[in-house]
Amino acid sequence: MELLPEGQTNKTEVSWEDQQRINEFSKLINRKDQFEVELAELSHEKDYLDDLSLEIELLDDDEKVNYKLGDTFVLLRHSSVVTRLENDNLVLANKMTALENSIEVTQERMNELKNQLYAKFGQSINLDR
Amino acid sequence: MDRLKTEQSNPRGIPQAKFIDRVESLLNPSTCTNEDVDQLLKECQTRLQQYKFMEENKRLALNGNKSKIPNITKTLEMVQYLKERKEEDDDEPLQTNYELNETLYSKAEIDVQNLDNVYLWLGADVMMEYPLDEAIELLTTRLAVAKEAVTVAEEDLEFLREQITTMEVNTARVYNWDITRRKGLAPK
Repeated sequence: MELLPEGQTNKTEVSWEDQQRINEFSKLINRKDQFEVELAELSHEKDYLDDLSLEIELLDDDEKVNYKLGDTFVLLRHSSVVTRLENDNLVLANKMTALENSIEVTQERMNELKNQLYAKFGQSINLDR
Repeated sequence: MDRLKTEQSNPRGIPQAKFIDRVESLLNPSTCTNEDVDQLLKECQTRLQQYKFMEENKRLALNGNKSKIPNITKTLEMVQYLKERKEEDDDEPLQTNYELNETLYSKAEIDVQNLDNVYLWLGADVMMEYPLDEAIELLTTRLAVAKEAVTVAEEDLEFLREQITTMEVNTARVYNWDITRRKGLAPK
């Protein structure tokens, strides 16, 4: 939100309802940024997991795998590592879907608010980056 | 004196910013001087600074709480695995490569079948012995508390964001109102 440029006047009165819409919008835009950061982190993690799932196939079935649990590497059987990876992948995929949905819902509400605010204030308000 | 005060606050007692409905309710256009307007703008600025200061503090608190979560999660995962492994009918000891010191790993075997207790670091130089189930319970509770604190801090930050926006719009409107007023005063 910025002050109006010098010399430009704003004839439209801001009502409490408008203010609440502006506030909600500024809240949502921050929330969406946050979601996107989280999503980027998760998709990074997903890349790692995908790579790992491929690599693990190449390992000998009888060999034990150093699997990091907490701060320690635990020697696990190949099969249980595969199960764990599948599980991790599932949890991650669910988290990502949930985040994507949240982003979509937030964006929809933002568009709604944008339409209402632009309809009232036109050039006097700027809601885009 | 404090005409920007409201009675409302959020559940954590952060005051709600006053929305200036009509600038005329605070300043009388026919009698107010430039100093009066400056005074009001200054008060708006002070409020805005206070909110921004609170926002900064909240953000620090939020990051502090957020950083606790991975640690608790890691420990919880490990204890859960130990329990899982104990319940399996597997006589083989659990082999690990553990961090003996930074960048230095060493091998250790854990006799999981006869492992009943783990030691949790409680902070303040205290470590306590807990049966596996109790350790899981304690860590789960701690995780929930940390997550709750994060949710609350995020809520507060969003609330502060809204109050900051209100004050920014207030400031802009008083400023614009003043420009119009000064134009009206200028000799025709």
